[in-house]
Amino acid sequence: MTAPAVKRIAALAPAYGILAGLFLVPIALLFAVSFWSVRSFKLEPGFSLDAYIRTFTVYGSLFVWTLLMAAAVAILCVVIGFIFAYGARFRVGTHGDLFILATMITLFGGYLVKIYSWKAILSSNGILNSLLLGLGLVDQPVGWFIFNRGAVIVALAHFLLPFAILPIYSALRNVPDITLDAARDLGASPWAVLVKVVLPQCRTGLVAAFAICFLSAVGDYVTPMFLGGGSAIMLGQFIVSEFSTRFNWPSGAAMSFSLMGASALVIGAVWLAFIGRRR
Amino acid sequence: MTRRLVWPLVMTALSAFLLGPLILVVVFSFNSNELISFPMGGLSLRWYHQLIGDDAFQAALLNSLAIALPTAFISTVTGALAAYTFAEWRTRFGLPALSVLGLPVLLPPLVIAIALVVLFARWLDLPLGRPAVICGHVLVTQPFVAAVVAARMASFDFTVLEAARDLGASRFQTFVKVTLPQIRAAIIGAALIAFALSLDEFIIAVFTIGGGNTLSTFVWGKIKTTLDPSINAIATIMLAMTVSLTLIALRLTRYRG
Repeated sequence: MTAPAVKRIAALAPAYGILAGLFLVPIALLFAVSFWSVRSFKLEPGFSLDAYIRTFTVYGSLFVWTLLMAAAVAILCVVIGFIFAYGARFRVGTHGDLFILATMITLFGGYLVKIYSWKAILSSNGILNSLLLGLGLVDQPVGWFIFNRGAVIVALAHFLLPFAILPIYSALRNVPDITLDAARDLGASPWAVLVKVVLPQCRTGLVAAFAICFLSAVGDYVTPMFLGGGSAIMLGQFIVSEFSTRFNWPSGAAMSFSLMGASALVIGAVWLAFIGRRR
Repeated sequence: MTRRLVWPLVMTALSAFLLGPLILVVVFSFNSNELISFPMGGLSLRWYHQLIGDDAFQAALLNSLAIALPTAFISTVTGALAAYTFAEWRTRFGLPALSVLGLPVLLPPLVIAIALVVLFARWLDLPLGRPAVICGHVLVTQPFVAAVVAARMASFDFTVLEAARDLGASRFQTFVKVTLPQIRAAIIGAALIAFALSLDEFIIAVFTIGGGNTLSTFVWGKIKTTLDPSINAIATIMLAMTVSLTLIALRLTRYRG
């Protein structure tokens, strides 16, 4: 091997060593564990599909609900994210940068703070209720703001919105103004410009935004735990309890891999529907 | 005339939705009331005073720093080395290979966390604790470092390096005097992002810390039980740290969308 090749491999070794040792190997081991079984709280190696069967028989409807909620969050984020990114790119002139900055300042922080804040806003003695009571719009605190699927979807969409805005905005930045002007000059209505000129040019950004938001929402368990009420409503909550309290690692592992497999199918389908067709 | 105002209003409303919940937490951290509701009480620093005297908070802050600093250092070295090497190599496999580093970010942190717990507890027979958290955090922060540095390298002029070498500079001199000054801002920015991500990260931390707390698991412990108003103060401190790190990083890397 030549000297530069050795150096390059040495320079790449730490990053890929970490990826292999702390990600690929542990995930492979976890996958193996998903085929094991548990007898009286002890792990028994082997090959059994019990954990997967358990996932779909015990948690079947919850599984579907989890995918539906993640899809709702992702669609909400893509729609609102597109409106925001489109406005920032084309409709508010030079203020666009400022709005994008506003979305980016909490990109790398604030996960728990946001969830906690939604609890403070939505709970029965929270900000929203005290506002409504103060304004005389309601006589007693509204209870249905919190502890249901809607609250979880709102909080997750709020947390993930910046992750939808940024890929869409960067796709829109590559859409030349001149194509919009040309369409308008040729008599296209604003709606036609949007649907026939802007959207097709940024669909990779839209699909990327959907994928990011879907993947982040589908595995979340903290938000439903806080805002979803007493009974668990998303699969992540059960993955946690299988791991920590029931000590059923195979079951928790099988649920994780089933969820990731199903997510891959959903995102693959969305990709095929919006991008794959082009070829 | 009214049509003109539609977009600014829409954008302002959406920005309020994005930032409002965070601003509320910050505002109420300076409020003397026990409850987070209107009408507000007077201006007060009592929650901050209460926090500063709290040993558990100090221990959590110390733990968080003891995790975030090594995380930022290690992932900056590994991520930047990978991004730089592929840029210099000029191979068409560079970008796909770098995106492979991002795989851990695509999976739910919950799965990463339990996979690490299984690895440490079942196969390596190692105790959980700070090193385990650092392992998890390096794994999920190095792709961000690699992405930031790769973006900077995209406009890096390698002929300058050849010029330096032709003029008699050694490889080391070239790196220190020519390469590093040009990419330093991106590398520092990437390190700050890794630091902020590690400070804020909760799911991997809560699974792999074993005993003790980080800032985020400390907050978790408090919100799980009550709506303790001192949470607003901790949350504000965490936000102040991550937002200022992010702003400096964005400025250094000139990242714009």
